[in-house]
Amino acid sequence: MRKVSKAAKGWDRGFRVLAAIGAASPAVFLVSIAAIVLVESIPTIRFMGIHFLTETRWDMGNLYGALTHRNGITAPAGASYGALVFIVGTLLSSVIALVIAVPVSVGTALILAYRVRGPLGFLLNILVELLAGIPSVVIGLWGILVLVPWIANAFAPFLKSVLGFIPFFGGQTGTGYSLLASGIVLAMMIVPIITATTRDLLVQVPLLAREGGLGIGMTSWEVVRYIALPYIREGFIGAVALGWGRAMGETMAVLMVSGNATNILPQNLYSPISTMAAFIANQLDSAETDASGMAVHALSELALLLLAITLATNLVARWLVRPRRRGGVVAP
Amino acid sequence: MGKSMTVRRLNAWYGAHQVLHEIDMDIEENRVTAIIGPSGCGKSTFIRCLNRMHETHPQARVEGDIRLAGESLFDLDPVDVRRMVGMVFQKPNPFPTMSIFDNIAIGLKLAGVRRSSELRDRVERALRMAALWDEVKDRLAKPATALSGGQQQRLCIARALAVEPEVLLMDEPASALDPISTMRIEELIEEIKQTYTVVIVTHNMQQAARIADKTAFFYQGHLIEMDDTTQMFTKPKDKRTEDYITGRFG
Ligand SMILES: Nc1ncnc2c1ncn2[C@@H]1O[C@H](COP(=O)(O)OP(=O)(O)OP(=O)(O)O)[C@@H](O)[C@H]1O
Ligand SMILES: [Mg+2]
Repeated sequence: MRKVSKAAKGWDRGFRVLAAIGAASPAVFLVSIAAIVLVESIPTIRFMGIHFLTETRWDMGNLYGALTHRNGITAPAGASYGALVFIVGTLLSSVIALVIAVPVSVGTALILAYRVRGPLGFLLNILVELLAGIPSVVIGLWGILVLVPWIANAFAPFLKSVLGFIPFFGGQTGTGYSLLASGIVLAMMIVPIITATTRDLLVQVPLLAREGGLGIGMTSWEVVRYIALPYIREGFIGAVALGWGRAMGETMAVLMVSGNATNILPQNLYSPISTMAAFIANQLDSAETDASGMAVHALSELALLLLAITLATNLVARWLVRPRRRGGVVAP
Repeated sequence: MGKSMTVRRLNAWYGAHQVLHEIDMDIEENRVTAIIGPSGCGKSTFIRCLNRMHETHPQARVEGDIRLAGESLFDLDPVDVRRMVGMVFQKPNPFPTMSIFDNIAIGLKLAGVRRSSELRDRVERALRMAALWDEVKDRLAKPATALSGGQQQRLCIARALAVEPEVLLMDEPASALDPISTMRIEELIEEIKQTYTVVIVTHNMQQAARIADKTAFFYQGHLIEMDDTTQMFTKPKDKRTEDYITGRFG
């Protein structure tokens, strides 16, 4: 029998300790981040109560004047932290992103999964991966240089003239820094993840099932519609949720094209907005000048809310796209 | 009524690999034609050419002439071809997300059958033809994947029959089935040849002898010999056919 040296045993123990730390670290990070934002938000949770979610006015108050007291919390006079504008901005921009990204992603995924092979397929797959890798600030810059002027000068007037009779499509067409620009930029950022996930799901649809459809005279579209899409349905919903979570959490690109609206809800597609993530990034500097600390607490509460929403969508998404076997097993 | 098919100088490839060489064949209407030959000789590829399924494979290529009652398949839309030339695959492949009923009804709906009473009638008729009705009539809404392998294969036959093609292609439809299901399918083929032309691939020489009017022997991508089944099994002309049917290879 080989004698294991002391040194080897020591190394082994060290390795196991390291592996344990590595394995535990995601949970530790998540819990500590959640704990910090939760603790940091407690003062504003007490100060604002439910009004945090329902009010549109976000005002740090008079930072150099008197203080007010409410529910045992001290805040600058006139302070009010209402996140509704950012909640609405986050939801609307991310939903617009989905409306654009989902059809594009499904179309691309279908082509990647079923249509192209060989070098062209390889190239297209690489392109999707590359799009996923573009830094968000670069997309934001493209948004400012190209997208925003295009929306202001061409796209918004066009949409208004064609669809202006629909409530959210009419009205002032604005500067281009808008809900619409945010939605489009977000769509670009989530197309890769939805496409790649959907493609991976589509290639799992058994060829034999699809050939069965062709065999009874289905068109390629009917095979997709009646066989492939139903087969991947749950996973696909998960892929969309994954993209949605990402759209809601995205910061930099939105910050650059949203117009950074505060205190006012968007009136139409062309209104400036702000999202929770963008607003936090934008306001942290000035919030730190609040000696009472309340502005930072308020941003923490916003972060807590964002974390909860994105965590929830991600969990649901992961659960839906989890790998599973399909076929023989059927409910009684 | 079934229709005849004629195949002339058919060549087929997977990528650079030529699988079929210069196949000429006449398939008579309302007859059962059996395709036999050793594994890998191109039987599946051949019948997949007959409904233009072969070309759905990304690297596949076909050359030659195939006619259905005189009309060239390649002048028709492949979707129309597959409505007229139905197919049952080697492995059962019911639509995995659909109920037993929908597996059959979907083809009818897409072919324009709207009235639900007509749908129900035709689904029932197809299931009866495939000798499956009695086994599934109480659970039509259940997922098709809950059926046994043999039942699934009969469901696939019903699905193909429901849309009333002129020709039915069957690729070893009984290879995964027990003897009783196999017998049912053979009886079914016997029955449906009144109304359909049937082309069946089989590895089972007795099966070919039992059900086929004509038999064609493929070897390494060539059609070696085709004749009346009795003729073929008693007096084969080619030495390779004889070796194969007497079990000397394959
Ligand atoms: N998808 C494919 N890609 C590449 N080559 C293929 C493919 N399918 C079949 N082939 C090749 O084509 C040839 C004929 O195959 P085919 O499936 O037609 O044979 P078969 O006679 O039906 O055999 P079996 O009795 O085993 O079903 C074989 O050499 C096979 O390797
Ligand atoms: Mg085969």
